[in-house]
Amino acid sequence: MEVGGTFLFLLPSKTKSISALFLICLVFVCACNPGKPAGQNTATREITDDAGRRVSLPARVDRVIALAPNLTEIVFAVGAGDRLVGNTTYCDYPPEAKAITKVGDSLQPSLERIIALRPQVVLISTASQLEVFTRQLQDQNIAAFVTDPHDVEGVFRSIEQIGEMLGQTEQATLLVKKLRERVTAVEQAVQHTQPVRVFYQVSNKPLYTTGRDAFATDLMRRAGGTSVTADVPGAWPMYSNESALASRPEAIILPTGGSMGAENSTVADALRTSPAVRNGRVYKINDDYLARPGPRVVDGLEAMARALHPEAFKQ
Amino acid sequence: MTAAFSNARDVIARRRDRVTLRKTLVSCAALALALVAAVVLLSLVGSEPLPARASLCALLSLGTSPCGLSQDQFDILFQIRLPRILLAAAVGGSLATAGASYQALLRNPLAEPYLLGISNGAAVGTMVALVFFGANEWSRPLLAFAGSLVATLAVYQLARGRAGATPERLILAGVIVTTFLSSVIVFVTTLMDATRVRSFTFWLLGDLSGTSKALLPVALSIAIVGTVALTLHARSLNLLMLGERDAFDLGVEVGRVRIVVFVVASLLVGSSVAASGSVGYVGLVVPHLARLSLGSDNRISIPAAALGGALFVIVADTVARTVIAPRELPVGAITALIGAPLFIYLLKRA
Repeated sequence: MEVGGTFLFLLPSKTKSISALFLICLVFVCACNPGKPAGQNTATREITDDAGRRVSLPARVDRVIALAPNLTEIVFAVGAGDRLVGNTTYCDYPPEAKAITKVGDSLQPSLERIIALRPQVVLISTASQLEVFTRQLQDQNIAAFVTDPHDVEGVFRSIEQIGEMLGQTEQATLLVKKLRERVTAVEQAVQHTQPVRVFYQVSNKPLYTTGRDAFATDLMRRAGGTSVTADVPGAWPMYSNESALASRPEAIILPTGGSMGAENSTVADALRTSPAVRNGRVYKINDDYLARPGPRVVDGLEAMARALHPEAFKQ
Repeated sequence: MTAAFSNARDVIARRRDRVTLRKTLVSCAALALALVAAVVLLSLVGSEPLPARASLCALLSLGTSPCGLSQDQFDILFQIRLPRILLAAAVGGSLATAGASYQALLRNPLAEPYLLGISNGAAVGTMVALVFFGANEWSRPLLAFAGSLVATLAVYQLARGRAGATPERLILAGVIVTTFLSSVIVFVTTLMDATRVRSFTFWLLGDLSGTSKALLPVALSIAIVGTVALTLHARSLNLLMLGERDAFDLGVEVGRVRIVVFVVASLLVGSSVAASGSVGYVGLVVPHLARLSLGSDNRISIPAAALGGALFVIVADTVARTVIAPRELPVGAITALIGAPLFIYLLKRA
């Protein structure tokens, strides 16, 4: 800097200010390029992610960034929370996750901050997946791993893959075993019940629901229900009010009260005359359990099953 | 001599007025008939099939008799479909009327609520209402009205140079206000919860699915009263199309007319944006079509644009709610999809 100062002193003022700008830029470029690439991947293994990409990973992953709250929850659940160097402003569970450096939200993460944190792997959920973004990460020698579970088994696969990636295979396997036992317990409890026809209201105005590809549709099935919109294409379609009315659901699920706060806590007008509302079968379930494909989906499944079939859980 | 001359001129003017009146009545009657037919017939179309004859019977009985429809079918028809179609009519009519009168007052064929940033002003107002007075349904149309009025005045002041508001300056001012308000909207949505952003983005595109029972009568009455009020000023607007100075010399109270148009048009835009978000192109395409087919006399083109706009949005919304049923599209996407190519065609032909 001192050399730069002397140098500047000798120049006419206009050139001086331009040179100053140059120097400032130079300093920044130097700061961002510490001689070696941001990641230190010496590829030794490959895992196929949910986007069907072969992702090369270093033997040991010490620095990982999660770009969605469910991924943060999975990293902590497999016991690798100490290696999470960055996550998003949505990541609020477990409480320790809040203290981790934020790289923006899932939709608009800051590439600069991500690179500055020098992760080896960035975990992406399709909600935040951007093609250009992924390519930029790869240019920096940072592996981008995409998860996109469509059902409970997909969530378990994400847990196992992330566990394996972080060298926590044993813990991940154990976690999935326990979760699977709880799922089986629910399924056994509702086994001989009549499936309840459920409308899952994602938002009121405009009316959104769950379609064929949403993992919530799988949750409803396992909880002894059947989604009245299970055949609608897409994961979270905007839905016709009149079709909602005509579907005559026996129960309505409102994911609300978690990150949603008080949002989505009222039933859409079109559903006011449904058997569900008339019989008082409207259930509010924490949206963080239902909307995040992480370990807590099983909590969501249990809450749903208890709501749909209270008789099956009386003991 | 002079008396005889002015007498003759009066006779000619009166006869021309009578011709205009007849033309207005005939064309508006035809459009109104088409509008009623569209409301009734498109009520028979939707994502849920309803028995056509029974529905028609129930509609013609004005909902007094179910005509054999089940309770659910009756509710679909009268609680969901018909209110939505009526709101579409109110929104389309309001936007087209506002567009037609802005175009006359500002002597600019491109003056349109959406392009001038007035819809965005209303959108910012609605957003403020949602963020700060979420529970109060009345805060939305009021603040939307305030927002569109402020945006209108801003555009007008920005456009007014020493030489008056030239068409180019006006469009530039509109672009500036539009982009400025768009960035305000983007900024606020970025600060919103992720869960609210999606429904808000849809609403910004123009969406009629969340038809509010409380706002429907308000939007309908504003559309009707506003159209009548502006049609009553159509004569002055005709003279204003000659230029403000000439209009003033011919006895038009230019200042008063300007205020009336700004306030009424802002009310029209505000109520439709509060009810359905920003539905684009209606205020541009429909008045153009009206003028091309019926001439540029505002006494005809304003009421004709109102009826035509209602018709246009009803048809567009029918497409939006049926084309990928039971899923839906925002109506704004359809109006833009139909409107943009249609407008290019009109420009090429003119």
